[in-house]
Order: sequence, then C-alpha cells, then structure tokens
Amino acid sequence: MRERLDAIRNRALIVGVVATVLCIIGAFLDARQFLRSYLVAYVFWLGLPLGSLAILMLHHLVGGRWGFIIQRLLEAAVKTFPAMALLFLPFIIGIRRLYPWAAAHAGGAEHVVTGGKAVYLSPAFFTARAVFYFAVWIACSYALTKWSREQDRSEVSFIGRLQNLSGPGLALYGLTSTFSAIDWIMSLEPEWYSTIYGMIFMVSHGMAALAFAIIAARLLADDPPLAGAAAPDQFQDLGNLLLALVMFWAYLSFSQFLIIWAENLSEEIPWYVRRATGGWRYVALLLIIFQFALPFLLLLSRMAKRRARSLAWIALVVLIMHWVDLLWLTAPAFHPSSFYLHWLDLAALIAVGGLWIGAFAHYLGATALLPNDPRFVEALREAEAT
Amino acid sequence: MADEVDKILASEEIAPVIEPGHTYASITDKISAIVLTRPTPMLWYVGFGISFVFVLILLFAVSYLLTKGVGIWGINIPVAWGFAIVNFVWWIGIGHAGTLISAILLLLRQKWRNSINRFAEAMTIFAVMCAGLFPLLHLGRPWYFYWLFPYPSTMDIQPQFRSPLVWDVFAVSTYFTVSLLFWYVGLIPDLATLRDRARKRFPRFAYGMLAMGWRGSAVHWHRYETASLLLAGLATPLVVSVHTVVSFDFTIGLVPGWHSTIFPPYFVAGAIYSGFAMVLTLAIPLRKMYGLEDFITLRHLKNMGEVMLATGLIVAYGYMMEGFVSWYSGSPFERYLMFYRMHGAYRYMFWALLLFNIVIPQALWILRVRTSPLALFIIAICVNVGMWLERYVIVVVSLSRDFMPSAWGMYSGTIWDYAVFAGTIGLFLALMFVFVRLLPMISIFEMRGLLHEESEK
Repeated sequence: MRERLDAIRNRALIVGVVATVLCIIGAFLDARQFLRSYLVAYVFWLGLPLGSLAILMLHHLVGGRWGFIIQRLLEAAVKTFPAMALLFLPFIIGIRRLYPWAAAHAGGAEHVVTGGKAVYLSPAFFTARAVFYFAVWIACSYALTKWSREQDRSEVSFIGRLQNLSGPGLALYGLTSTFSAIDWIMSLEPEWYSTIYGMIFMVSHGMAALAFAIIAARLLADDPPLAGAAAPDQFQDLGNLLLALVMFWAYLSFSQFLIIWAENLSEEIPWYVRRATGGWRYVALLLIIFQFALPFLLLLSRMAKRRARSLAWIALVVLIMHWVDLLWLTAPAFHPSSFYLHWLDLAALIAVGGLWIGAFAHYLGATALLPNDPRFVEALREAEAT
Repeated sequence: MADEVDKILASEEIAPVIEPGHTYASITDKISAIVLTRPTPMLWYVGFGISFVFVLILLFAVSYLLTKGVGIWGINIPVAWGFAIVNFVWWIGIGHAGTLISAILLLLRQKWRNSINRFAEAMTIFAVMCAGLFPLLHLGRPWYFYWLFPYPSTMDIQPQFRSPLVWDVFAVSTYFTVSLLFWYVGLIPDLATLRDRARKRFPRFAYGMLAMGWRGSAVHWHRYETASLLLAGLATPLVVSVHTVVSFDFTIGLVPGWHSTIFPPYFVAGAIYSGFAMVLTLAIPLRKMYGLEDFITLRHLKNMGEVMLATGLIVAYGYMMEGFVSWYSGSPFERYLMFYRMHGAYRYMFWALLLFNIVIPQALWILRVRTSPLALFIIAICVNVGMWLERYVIVVVSLSRDFMPSAWGMYSGTIWDYAVFAGTIGLFLALMFVFVRLLPMISIFEMRGLLHEESEK
C-alpha cells in the first residue's frame, strides 16, 4: 500500500510541476487571465481540505462507523492546509489585477465601493483576514491529526479531547469558511451581495470533500486494511450523506435563486442575468442536471450506494460538477453573458491538483489507513461477531 | 442526581435510553396505567382548569373579533401583519420538532427518539391547529377562506400562484394532514393495547373502534412498519419545506430586513430550535408529574439540549449574516433598518431576543447544564420567548420602517391581540392535557422494542 501511494505521489507531483510551469508561462503571457483561472482551480482544491475539516469534526461529534473508514483520508486532506496557504500568495501579489475593488482602491475607480465595503474590501484587511482563516484551519487540523495519531500509539482515549475541539471548531469553521467565500469569490462582483452565499459554499465544499473521500476509499478498498473494514453498509451510509449534501446544495441554491428572481431588483438580478444568458445558460442547465437531478435520482437507489464502484462513479460526477459550479460562479464576473473557457483554466486545475494530490498521497502514506479508535474497534468486533 | 451526571460524564455512550430493571410487562403497565387505572393527579385538574379558562378567553376574543372585525387588533397600515403573523410563524415553528423527531430521527435510526416521539407529534398537531387559526382570522372574513383553494369557482377567480401566501395554504394543510396520519398510524398498536387492558365498557369500545381491528399479527406488524417508513419519508421534506415557504412570505416581500437570502435555512433552523425548546418545556414537567424519569432519561434531555445548541448556533449565524450584509451592502435602507432595530422604538425587544436566543443558550456548552432538568427548563422557556420576539422584530420593525419615511408608522398589540395569543396557548395546553389523560403519551410498543434491543447487547 505504501509503495502504491508513493507511486501516486510521485506521478501527481510530476504532472503538477509540469502544469505549474505551463501556468507560469501563462502568467507572463496574460497575468490577468492566469489569476482568474488560478482562482477557480485554487478554490476547487482548497474546498477538499475545507470540506474534509468540517466532516472530520462532525464525525468526531457523532462517531458513526462510516466516519472511521474515511477518517484517515480526511486527515490527510486537512494536513495540506500549510501547503495551500503558500499557494495563496499569488492572490496577494496580484490582488489589483484580480479584484475590481482593489483596483478602485489603487485609484483605478472602476467600481465605486460604498458602505461597509469601503472598509471591508481593502487589500490590507483582505490579507489580514486570509492570514486569520489559514491560522484557524491550520491550528484545528494540526490538533485533530496530532491527537488522532497519538491515539494510535497510546492506550489513553483522546475522544473527549477531539470532541471538545470539534464543537467550537465547527463554529469557527462556519465563520472562516463563510467569510473566505465572500472575500475571495463574492467580492469579484462587489456591488452584489447575498446572505446565504457562505452557507452554499460550506455545503458544496463538504459535498466535494465527501465525493473525493468516497472515490479515494473505493480505490483503496480492494486491499487491506480497508478491505476488511469497508463493508457495503458503510458505503451506503456515505452515499446517504452524499445524497443529503446534494439535496442541501440544491435547496440552498434554489432558495437563493427564487428569492432574487421573484424580487427582480436592479442591484441583485444582474448577477443571475450574467449567469443565465449566452453560453452560461447551458452551464447552468448542466449544473441542474448533473450536480442535482442525476446524482439525486441515482443516490436514491440502495444498490447504487452499496456498491462501492457505482457510488464512486456518482461521486466523480459530483466532484467534476463542483468544478463546473465554481467556474459558473466565478467566470461570468469577467465574461458576462458569453461562455468563456481559457486553456489556463484547465492548466491551473491540473497544476494545483497535481501538487495537492501529491501532498495528499504523501500524508496518507505516513500513517496507518485506519484509526485505532476504541469505538471503531468495538464496532468491528461487533460486526465480526454477527 | 449527582450520581446520574457522573455516570453520563464517565461514559456518554453507555447512558441508558431506558433505565434498567424494566420488563415488557412493567413498561406496558406503567404507561397504560396513566390512562386506565391510576387516579388522575390533582395537578392535572388544576392545569387543565387554568388552560380551559384561557380557551374560554379565546372563544370570547374570537367571537368579538367576528362581530367587530380585525379593527379591534392593533394592525394598521403600514403594519398590516401584527400579532397574527407573529403568532402564526411562532406556532408553526414549534411544530417542527415533532416532525423532526418522528420522521428524520426514525430514518437515522436514533433510538433515543422512542420515548419522546409520541407527545412531540401530538405537540406538532396541536401547534399547527393554533397556527392555522391566525391567518384564517387575519383574513377578516374567515368564512371565505376557501377562496384560497383553486376550486372551480363560478366567479372565474383563481388564487395568485406566484404568491407565497398561497403556497402556505398548501404547505400547512399538507403538513397537518401528514402529521395527523403519522401520529394516528403510530398510535394504532397502542390503542389495541389499551382496548385489551380497559376494564370498563365504554373505554373498551372507544379504544377498540380507534384500534381498527389491530390484532398484532405478523402481517399487521409488517404493514405497520412499511406504512410508518413511507410516512416518515413523506414527512421528512415537510420539516424543511413548511418553514421555507413561511420564510418566502417574507423574502419575497421586498421590505428592508425581509428580503434576505439566508432566510430559508435560518427559518428552518429557528423552527427546530423553538420546537425542541417546547418539547423540553413540556417533557420536563410531565416526566416529573407522572414519574416517568425511567423512560425520559437524562440522556434524552441532554440530546435535546445538544440539538437546541446546534440549531441555536445556526440561528445566530443567520443574525450575523443579516447584520454583516446590511453593513457590507451599502444599501441605506438595509443599514437604517439594522440601526433602527438596535436603537429604535423596538430596541428592547431586539436586545431581549439576542439575550434569550443567543446569549443564554450558550450555557448549553456545559455538560452539567445539559444534564440538569431545571437549567434546561429555564433555557427552554427563554428560547420560547426569544423566538417569539424574533418573529415580532422581523414582522413589525420592517413594516413600520419601509422605504418611504412618509409611510412610516408604529404598532403595538391591543388587549384583543394578547387575548387571542394567550387563548391559543391555553388551547394548546388544554389539548395536551386531554391528550395525556386519554392516550398513552409514550409509545408502549416502541419502548418494548427498545427494551428488547437493549437487553440483547
């Protein structure tokens, strides 16, 4: 197993470095386009550790058997936060090229930023907040992974400590992930605002992270130790959770749409007009079908959830559509009413993805694939007895 | 008491959902005796008597309203939605805990729901009854309420389907129907138990009719299980949809402070929050009054406290996003509304709502508070009050300060507003009293099943 993960890591890193070189060339050719493409790719990959962090803390609080199967996958994902913090630097360097409000601050005055935005959307405050978010995420993930690893080795139970962190941790997570979504993506169109925005991001990050964990668990499930522990029951539970998140995402997204569509206010509706006209309209339809309708219908089936292979295929559709969703949320800010896909969009996706998967495989190989949690050991013993 | 807390502290997982020492017979005896053999406690007569006085007040207030019209209430233009809508939203929200416990926790196989689901479902039905009264009375001419339905009218008038108020009619009536069916189907095996144990002729006849010929055969149980799973599946979306539609009443209402996209999830969380607060408000005195501590254990109270803490935090998140966006947006109307909430004529209600809904419930982080019935009872009462204030602030403050200063106004409830509101609380409690007197308030057969599962371990 170790060798296999090392091989994955090496291959991913090679692909990531090659794509990174392409991106750097792209950045010299068109810095603005590079930043736009890089933003979508970055937020997509950052969503995996973010969602993983939330699911991990939720798992510590409720502790079902499904969680123990993917616990180490989630932990490997959250260990990538320091690396992701480094990859955030291009936004700080290129802030004026990417965000219209930052250009306005610098005297470009493309947009008139009024109200609280004048204070909130300033480059210095933006950077300080990003530092704070990463500090919270790194601190939480460091403690969670450290205690979990120590529990493997010692007889002492760390459950109490993990739970005590997870409650307040989830509250802090809610705040930081909400405001990071507002800062990094919502503020691309500074005149627009929506109070549900942060919640939509939290749910879609969770959905993507769970989909990724299901795919990874499927790939590892043929060999020990996962082969013995991941029974169809656990995949069914994971499938149900994915179904719940898919429905929740659709519920929140539709609520936002209905409220804004019904009111048709001049400061709100343009956001949807940009995304529902021209080529973007078809992307929106694609989202409705492949991010909601199809996974929803397939995940209703018990058979589809119990078979790891079919569940992983559904999860892959969800994961890919999450990237399409981020593109649809972001790119129309730059290219309203006409579909636009640059080669850098894909290059950046592969660059960050290669580096991220490399780091993920590296961390995953460093620990045992199943945690030594007394509750899990108990559950396994019970399952063997029956 | 202290021992019990220590036990829970030592191992949360092992804390029982049913106290040890019970047999199938003792469970059946204990729960059915409340209805059939035990003398009705004095407290029941006192409680029912007081509630019934309020029912009479309600009848009087409604009669007077029907003769005089809605002018006896405090509503005016611009504040045309006063107490009636505040109370409607409050009562509808309270019902949600019952549906969550009976449907979602059933699907999630949460064992601790078994001893609280029956009266939580009853609470749902009674709360929806109280809620339904308000929009009907608020119509002004309640006898024309059927105009809200799309029936083939000779006047060629159809309801406005783009209005969330019409969606409400469908959402609430579906909700009531499904909740009632769910509750009744769940009662059938227990009604048969009561039929078999009743000594007198009339109770045997009445429970026998209601039990619909239940004999407890394997076929019966098989059909029962299928029906209750199907009903749980049907009821689950209703937990979310009803309060979502209620939130659309506001969000599609344009006024500052109403048109906010966070409203649907935040209303649903608020509904579950207030619902669990009401379940605790009822469960804690009931378990004391009838000595049901063995069945409604500290584990139940603790779990409900945790649900309240989680949903309360989502509600706090909603307030925070509203506050942040009103500041961030730069919209002068949104900003002014937030300023007016904090500093205007209704500021005491606003700060009290933050205190009751957000500050006080944070005590639930402490395990000792979550396992103390008295502390939970006090917090639950605070949340009940806080959630009512929240709806008052949302409804009244926004309407009294809309876009045009010349259209601003003030609102306060009259004696008749208070009479109808207090009357519905009386109606709700009176129905609860009748319910615990005539029907088993804890599901007997589910407790027996729970005992079976627990003893197998």
